[in-house]
Amino acid sequence: MASRFRRILVPVKGYPTDADAIGLACTLAKRDRGQVFAIYVIEVKRSLPIDVEVDEELQRGEHVLQLADEAASRNDFTINTELMQAREVGPAIVDEAIEREADLIIMGTSYKRRFGEFDPGRTMPYVLKHAPCAVWVLREPAPVEALRR
Amino acid sequence: MYIIVVGGGQVGYHLSKQLIAEGHEVLLIEKDARTCDRINEDLGSVCLRGDGCEAATLDEVGAGRADVLIAVTGEDEDNLVSCQVAKVRFGVRRTIARINNPKNDRIFRLLGIDAPVSSTQVILEHIEHEVPQHPLMHLMDLSRFGMEIVDVLIGEDSPVRGKRLSDLELPPNAFVSLVITSRDGPQAPNPSLTLGPGDELIAVTPIDQEARLRRVLTGV
Amino acid sequence: MNVVIMGCGRVGAALAKLLDDEGHHVTILDIDSYSFRRLPADFRGTALVGNGTDQEVLVRAGIAEADVFVATTQGDNRNVMAAQIAKHIFGVRRAVTRIYDPIREEMYRELGLETFSPTMVGAHYMHALVVGRPAPAVPPAGR
Repeated sequence: MASRFRRILVPVKGYPTDADAIGLACTLAKRDRGQVFAIYVIEVKRSLPIDVEVDEELQRGEHVLQLADEAASRNDFTINTELMQAREVGPAIVDEAIEREADLIIMGTSYKRRFGEFDPGRTMPYVLKHAPCAVWVLREPAPVEALRR
Repeated sequence: MYIIVVGGGQVGYHLSKQLIAEGHEVLLIEKDARTCDRINEDLGSVCLRGDGCEAATLDEVGAGRADVLIAVTGEDEDNLVSCQVAKVRFGVRRTIARINNPKNDRIFRLLGIDAPVSSTQVILEHIEHEVPQHPLMHLMDLSRFGMEIVDVLIGEDSPVRGKRLSDLELPPNAFVSLVITSRDGPQAPNPSLTLGPGDELIAVTPIDQEARLRRVLTGV
Repeated sequence: MNVVIMGCGRVGAALAKLLDDEGHHVTILDIDSYSFRRLPADFRGTALVGNGTDQEVLVRAGIAEADVFVATTQGDNRNVMAAQIAKHIFGVRRAVTRIYDPIREEMYRELGLETFSPTMVGAHYMHALVVGRPAPAVPPAGR
């Protein structure tokens, strides 16, 4: 592979593809002697102050980051993890990529349909549009019946 | 403070930008999706697409914890309703409405808006400040108390010329808070101070006593 | 009764005709004189061009002598504003106001306007038709 990646940001959300994203990031980082940052962003509703602590959300975030840590261990690599709160996930990921001077974002995503059509959600398109660095997206396999419709 | 701004036109945009720079938490509600996107790209995730007159939208943005709601759309009736819903449904303590037709000032106050702001009125007040012979200038509303602060110039033929402060027969609940004499500058309102032409009084008065105060101090 | 109606759309014009036929004195306002084409040729009331949220227009429409004010323009907020001016500035005893948004409708009902939401009235009416219940002769108010 031609490009070299030293600082890789992996936003995790609890998708089945998260572990693959972490694994891939670790492989690249090992090769290029880089670092991997896994982040989980809690989206805080407008009706709550931004620094509110919702236990359920915090626990879920900790759990997803724990899984990321374990996925890294299976690749014999140590990663940095961070739990963040923001009003919107997309801008928070882009801001984090800029702040950490990431040269690659690897993100997993699920295959979802909404109103009878494929729905990429808001976060992934936002990151694709606004991130200054390279972005790789790992999508889980689509259910066959969904594609036939 | 948590401030909700309704209307993402020029006024709403620049107002939000300023409030954010002052460190407030700001949420802007705008109907048009494209305007919304543009503002979000520019100011961060501060703009929500929606109708600021709808209780559902105000609920979504947490109007219940807002300190202030400022409605600055181009339509007076929308600004009125947005403020009323915020106040009645969500108990927002302070509501500020832009009014495009200055005639609506009184109506808005009567219908519970804390501070209607008319750009026409603001410009008129600036003109009053620039015209020195105007005997009474409105400086500021203390609308929560039904009071206002005014600046009164004592003219050549004022009936209080040569009188002492203690001899003034001011309307009930009106009082002089500062005297700016033409000779010595700003003075505390000492009762024995004698007024002369060119002196200025900064007075606090119930809004409905303004005309009477003007007559007492200027004769017109 | 003296009735001032703001908005000469289909509903406003039909209401004006009903009241006029019963011998009530009707003044109807609209910002567009073209809307008055909906009034019947034998309408005996007064049709006036003007915005009902403008106090001077309301004065010209005889709001001081009105027993009832009716707001039936397309804009919920315009209706609400005009009805509140009629009630709270001019002391008109009753202000009947059309508000499409059911939540706003409920709120202004609590604040003393006589409101109704065509949205909910229409939905209830159609629901009765769909489930085969006799449609209510007098549509239910509010929700």
